[in-house]
Amino acid sequence: MMYETDLVVIGGGPAGLMAANTAAGAGASVLLLERDRHLGGQLIKQTHKFFGSEKQHASERGIDIAALLGDELKSLEDRVTVWTHATAVGLYDDGVITVDYDGTYRKVRPKRIVAATGASEKFLSFPNNDLPGIYGAGAVQTMMNVYGLRPGKRVLMIGAGNIGLIVSYQLLQAGVSVAAVVEGLPQIGGYAVHASKIRRAGVPILTSHTIVRADGKESVESAVIAEIGSDWKVVRGSEQTIPCDVICISVGLTPLTELLWQAGCEMRYIPALGGYVPARSDRLETTVPGIYVAGDAAGIEEASAAMVEGHLAGLEAALSLGCGGDGCEEERADCLKQLSSLRSGPTAEKIRAGLSCAHGCQTPKRRDEHA
Amino acid sequence: MLEKTGIATREQIEKLLPSPGRRAEGPYAVMECFQKIPCNPCSTSCAFHAILPMDDINDIPSVTPDKCTGCGACAAVCPGLAIFIIDESKGGGTGTVTLPYEFRPLPGIGETVKAVNRAGEVVGDAVVTRVLPGKKTKTPLVTIEVPLSLVHEVRFIRCEAHQEEDPSVADTLREIPAPPQTADIGEQDDEVVICRCEGVTLREIRDLIREGYTTVDEIKRISRAGMGPCQARTCGPLIAAEIARMTGEPLGSVAPSAHRAPVKPLPIEFFLGGDTE
Repeated sequence: MMYETDLVVIGGGPAGLMAANTAAGAGASVLLLERDRHLGGQLIKQTHKFFGSEKQHASERGIDIAALLGDELKSLEDRVTVWTHATAVGLYDDGVITVDYDGTYRKVRPKRIVAATGASEKFLSFPNNDLPGIYGAGAVQTMMNVYGLRPGKRVLMIGAGNIGLIVSYQLLQAGVSVAAVVEGLPQIGGYAVHASKIRRAGVPILTSHTIVRADGKESVESAVIAEIGSDWKVVRGSEQTIPCDVICISVGLTPLTELLWQAGCEMRYIPALGGYVPARSDRLETTVPGIYVAGDAAGIEEASAAMVEGHLAGLEAALSLGCGGDGCEEERADCLKQLSSLRSGPTAEKIRAGLSCAHGCQTPKRRDEHA
Repeated sequence: MLEKTGIATREQIEKLLPSPGRRAEGPYAVMECFQKIPCNPCSTSCAFHAILPMDDINDIPSVTPDKCTGCGACAAVCPGLAIFIIDESKGGGTGTVTLPYEFRPLPGIGETVKAVNRAGEVVGDAVVTRVLPGKKTKTPLVTIEVPLSLVHEVRFIRCEAHQEEDPSVADTLREIPAPPQTADIGEQDDEVVICRCEGVTLREIRDLIREGYTTVDEIKRISRAGMGPCQARTCGPLIAAEIARMTGEPLGSVAPSAHRAPVKPLPIEFFLGGDTE
């Protein structure tokens, strides 16, 4: 049987939860699909305090924000249906979404879609990178903060972006030692305050360094790291062995956009946003009418921006259905203002450059608007 | 340098300090926040309006020392754990540092702990004089007494319970010699597993590119790379990068593999058991 609804939000992370809450609050009927068994996406393993302003719950911890947004969703339960353990496996050009809902095959036909599918971790190619003990930083965070498992005793972190720095800090909090953070770039990519936090706890941060290979019989026993020059080649003789039982890879994320490709959205390769992202209007509608995008799926950024994008995408989807009432114009203006303020600083320079390439597309008129 | 090591320089710190007169009067906040990032909770947390409101959320916080009471409210909310309360007014050659400390177990009042500087080095002993558990913020604030000469150095503590961890990680890095090179790095590189799901090595990928297979889809069809549970989310970008490297094409012009439903491998029976419309 076809499940019909106003809006399907794909993904129950910070962007998806905000989109579902906003659209349902404006009066739309919403189906929220979440692959995991619980809502919150990456928020549930973010035990650190968020940056941003009060509007994006600054100073609250990700896990508490997940609970907050989840509570808001519950208060809207007459208009929101939540399917957890539900993966959208296909998005077809007639607008039908096929879903693996807890092992059963379901079809959904919404009037609008917000894709808030998040991102996947990039990986590195180096000898023995398939040894047990080598993880993505997200996996390590899930093991520790969701399941309460230590990944090992001594970790070598590859990548000094915010995720690498934060996960290093959380490893220290869990009583795991961090041998070093290795970063290929000549400077730390993440916020300086995150770097200072782990540096004073004794973790060296080695910029212009890379992992050469992992070593070990059954699992990781050590890693070889080396300095790299401005040509990105290893400086001979700079190799050193780091004893460790875990190597944690944190070299960036790439948007999860398979469904948008399937739907025929115009995709653009924008390295500053993490890879292929959908072209969209500044109101987050893609080139396929009625499909909106928000959060990391639209380009890799901080969770605070993902929440505001989710808010905006949910609002736009609801407004296009004729929902919403007084104050929607102000709400939209406020979202746009929040986004531009979050992205106005020097640390967001890359994001701004990327977005200028992603924006500037014409969304054709919707079928129902032609009628 | 801060952007390379995570350690603020002496000059950066000195610029933050209030006048000697103000420092002698009582506790004050030092905000070791040197980078313009979108963050403002400190400026909205101060009950005494000692931190200027931010016109731009990326502004660096600005404290008015004469209004600051050193209460620590900002230190508890700061997401970057970058605010410290310094008190040099106590006399007797000692001062106190109040620092955010999100580790368990918390030290007890009267306990002697190791005083640690911004580089993670132990610079002396400190006695814990106050512990605020941080019920609301979940960021405890620990106040320690140190020699006056160290109040601008000490920014972390190491408690007895953490002693079994090796504090000299930085030293071990330099002591261990480089391993003997058993083979050329380029040669080892060939054996790297690119597609873990299907066990495809970099050598196989490179051989295929040399044979003229220069799209991710071609390589996928002939080698099965990208056809396992991860559906090329891990290996796809690595294969594209190798194609770009070997052909000299920019990465952006190497097309990713075609995206078709379903996005994950599913058994045929799954499709038989559900909707039939």
